[in-house]
Amino acid sequence: MAEKKHTSSHYEKELRDIREGLLYLGALVEKAIEQAIKSLLERDTELAHKVICDDDTIDQRDVEIEEKCIRILALRQPTARDLRFITTAIKINGHLERIGDMAAKIAEKAVILNEEPPMKPYIDIPRMAEVARGMIKESLDALVNKDTDLAQKVRMDDEIIDSLNEQVFRELLTFMLEDPKKIHRSLIIMQVSKSLERISDHAVGIADMVVYMVTGKMVRHEPICKSGE
Amino acid sequence: MIILFAVIITGMMSAQQIRDELIEKIKADLTAQARIIALLSKGEIEKQIFSLADISRSRVTLIGASGWVLADSEREVIKMDNHLNRSEVQEARIKGQGEAIRYSRTLGVDMLYVAFTIRENSEIGGYIRLARPLYDVKKSIDQLYSHIFQNVLIVVISSVLIALLFSRKIMAPIEKVEQFTQKVCRGELPGTLLVESNDEIGRLAKNINCMVEEHRERMRSVYEEKGKLESAFASMTEGVLVLDGQDRIELINSGLKNILIDEYTTDIIGKTPLEAFRNVELEDALERFREPRTTVFEEIAFGEENPIILDVTISAVHGLPEGEEKTMMVFHDVTRLKRLEKMREDFVANVTHEIKTPLTAIIGFIDTLQGGALDEKETAKKFLQIISENAHRLSRLVDDLITLSRIELGEMKLQFEGVSVAEIIGNALPVFEAKAADKSLTMDTHIPDGLPLIHADRDKVVQIIVNILDNAVKFTPDGGKISVSASEDGRGYVVIEVSDTGMGIPKSEIPRLGERFYRMDKTRSRDLGGTGLGLSIVKHLLKAHQGSMEIESQVGSGTTISLYFPIYRVI
Repeated sequence: MAEKKHTSSHYEKELRDIREGLLYLGALVEKAIEQAIKSLLERDTELAHKVICDDDTIDQRDVEIEEKCIRILALRQPTARDLRFITTAIKINGHLERIGDMAAKIAEKAVILNEEPPMKPYIDIPRMAEVARGMIKESLDALVNKDTDLAQKVRMDDEIIDSLNEQVFRELLTFMLEDPKKIHRSLIIMQVSKSLERISDHAVGIADMVVYMVTGKMVRHEPICKSGE
Repeated sequence: MIILFAVIITGMMSAQQIRDELIEKIKADLTAQARIIALLSKGEIEKQIFSLADISRSRVTLIGASGWVLADSEREVIKMDNHLNRSEVQEARIKGQGEAIRYSRTLGVDMLYVAFTIRENSEIGGYIRLARPLYDVKKSIDQLYSHIFQNVLIVVISSVLIALLFSRKIMAPIEKVEQFTQKVCRGELPGTLLVESNDEIGRLAKNINCMVEEHRERMRSVYEEKGKLESAFASMTEGVLVLDGQDRIELINSGLKNILIDEYTTDIIGKTPLEAFRNVELEDALERFREPRTTVFEEIAFGEENPIILDVTISAVHGLPEGEEKTMMVFHDVTRLKRLEKMREDFVANVTHEIKTPLTAIIGFIDTLQGGALDEKETAKKFLQIISENAHRLSRLVDDLITLSRIELGEMKLQFEGVSVAEIIGNALPVFEAKAADKSLTMDTHIPDGLPLIHADRDKVVQIIVNILDNAVKFTPDGGKISVSASEDGRGYVVIEVSDTGMGIPKSEIPRLGERFYRMDKTRSRDLGGTGLGLSIVKHLLKAHQGSMEIESQVGSGTTISLYFPIYRVI
C-alpha cells in the first residue's frame, strides 16, 4: 500500500497484514455468496450446508482483523493516512462479516427451499446475485487500486439491485395471490432477495469507506440521485 | 623546484660572499691610502685635495677636530654640515680609524666611507675621510645575479622540457588505461587496450585486457543463459509468476496471461497475489508454502461460472543472495483434463445405467413369468413383449457402442465414393413417413439439381442422415414441420440442413451435445427410445469424413442442424 515506507518495518508489516487479511476475508465472502447462490439455483443442499459452516471461518477472520486493528491503534497511535486506513479497515471488516452472514442466511433458505418442489425457474434472483457479487468485487478492487471512480460505480449499481428487489417482490406477490400453497416458498425467496439487497448495501458501505480512505471525505449519506427520492 | 631553490640559495650566498670580499678589498685599498694621506698635515691635504682624490680614485674629505668639513674634493665646504656624528668619524675618534657603508642620496649608490684621525702632537687635529661608491661591487653582484638568473632559467626550461618528455612517455599509457577502465565502468565493453611497453604499465594493461576478456566471456554466457531462460519462459504454456521478498508480483509470463482472462493479468506487477486475484485457494496454498518454504502443490479454481482449474506449484527460488527470498509459482491449466476426466466418469456411470435399466426390466419380467404369470396367456404375452423390447434396446445400445468404439479406434474402413445427396435423402425419407404421419408432421425437402457428389461412404452417410432425421422426428411435437435442404457452401463442401420446429436446445447445452449419453432432458428422451449415442456417432462419423456439424437452435422455436460433407473430386 505504502507509497512511502515507514521507518519501522514491523509497523509496515502489521499494516500490510491487515490489508491482506481484509482482502482474504473479501475473497472468502465473494466465494460464500457465489456458493450460496449456486446451492439455491442448483438445489444443492450439501453445498448450502458447507456455506453455513464456512461462515465460522469468516467470523473468526473478522475477529482477528479487528483485534489487529485495535492493537495498532493502541500501540502505534497511527496518524493521518494510517489512521484513515485503520478506521476504514475496521468498518470494511464489519461490512464483510455481515455480507458473510447474509450468504449463510441465503444458504439456510436454500436448504429449506430444496425440500420443496421448485416453484418456477429463477430469473431475477441470479441477476441480483450477479450484480451484488460484482459490487463486492468492485468495491474490493477499488480498495486495492484506491480507485474512487470504481467506488462511485458501486454506489450506482445499488440502484439496479433496489429495482430488481422490487421486481422480485411484485412477482412473488402475484404468485402468492394466485396460489396460497406458494406463499411459504414465496416468502422465503423474498428473504433471499432481501438478503441480496442488504449485501449490495454493505458493498456500497465498503465503497464509501474506500472513498473516505483515499480522499478523507465522508460520502456515506450523500444522496445518490439528484431527484432525491 | 628543489633544484631551483638550491641554485637560488647558493647564488645568493655566493653573491653575499663576493660582495663581502670586494668590499673588504676596497676597504683595504682605501684604508692604505687614507693612512698615507693622514701622514700629511692638514694644510698640505687641503692644498692637494684634488690631486689626492685623483690619485686615490675616491672622494676625499678633510674634517676638522670639531667635525666641520675643512675641505672636500667633490662638494663645496660651506654647504656641508657638521660631520662629527657620522659613524665613521665617531669610530675614528675613538679607535683612530673608522668605516661605514651608507647610502648616498646625492649619488644614489652605496658608499664606503673610511676615516682616519690626523694627529698633531698626539692630539686629534682632524679627520681624513675617503669615500668610494660601491659601483663595482653592485655591478659584479648584479652580474652574478643575472648569471644565476640565466642559469636558473636554463635549468628550469630544460628540466620542464625533460619532465614533459618523461611524463608524456609515462602518462600517455596511464591515460589510455584510465579512459579504457572508465569505459568498462560505464558498462561498455571496448576492444583491447593497446599499450606497447614491457614495464609495469604494460603488464597492467595486459591484466586489464585479460579481465575485460574474462568479463566479456562471462557476460556472453550470462546473456545466453538469460536468453534461453527468457524464451523458455515466454514460450512455455505453463503460467509462471515470480513473487519478490515482500510477496509482490514481480514477473508474469505470457503463458499465464493466456491462461487467465485479462481482468486478472492487467496491471498486476507490484501487487500481492491476494490483491491481484483474491483467490482463497491460492492464498491458502501460499500460506502453507510460507512457513517451511517447501514446495507446495495445489489444485485451484479461478473464476465463478466455468472456472479454470489450475495445478499450481509454489516453490522457493534458489541461488539468490543471502537474505533475499523469491517465490516461483507455476500454473498448469488442467481444465480440459478435468473435463475429460469428468466425461469419462460420466460415461462409465451412464453405460452402466443404460445397460442396467433394460436388464432390470428383463430380469423382473422373467422372474414374474417364472413366478406363475406364464399361465396367464394374455399377461405372459404382454410381458414377453416388454422383455423383447428391452432386449432389443440393449442390443441397439451395444451395437451403437461397438460402432462408436470402432470409429474411435479407427478400425472402421470407410469405402469412399461419389455419393449423390439427393439419392440418399430420397431413400431415407420414406423410412420416416409412417412415423411422421403418426405425429402429423409435414416433411419438406429442397434439394437443387446439379448438386455435386460428396466424397463419402454411402452406408455411413445413410446412417448419419437417418440418425439426424430420427432425432428431428422424435423431438418435434405433433403438427410440426421438418425441412431438409442441401446446398453448396462455396468452400468445397456440400451442406445438408435439417430444420425442425421442435423444442429447441439452450445455447449452453449445444457444446455438450456430441458427448456420449448426454441428454438434455434426461427423463424425456429415454422414453422416446434413444440410446443417447446417436449424435455422438454422427459427430464421429462426420469427423471420419473430414466433415463437420453445426447446430443452431432457439429454445421453443426449433433447431437447425447443418452437416458439412466434402465435395467428391475425380482425380
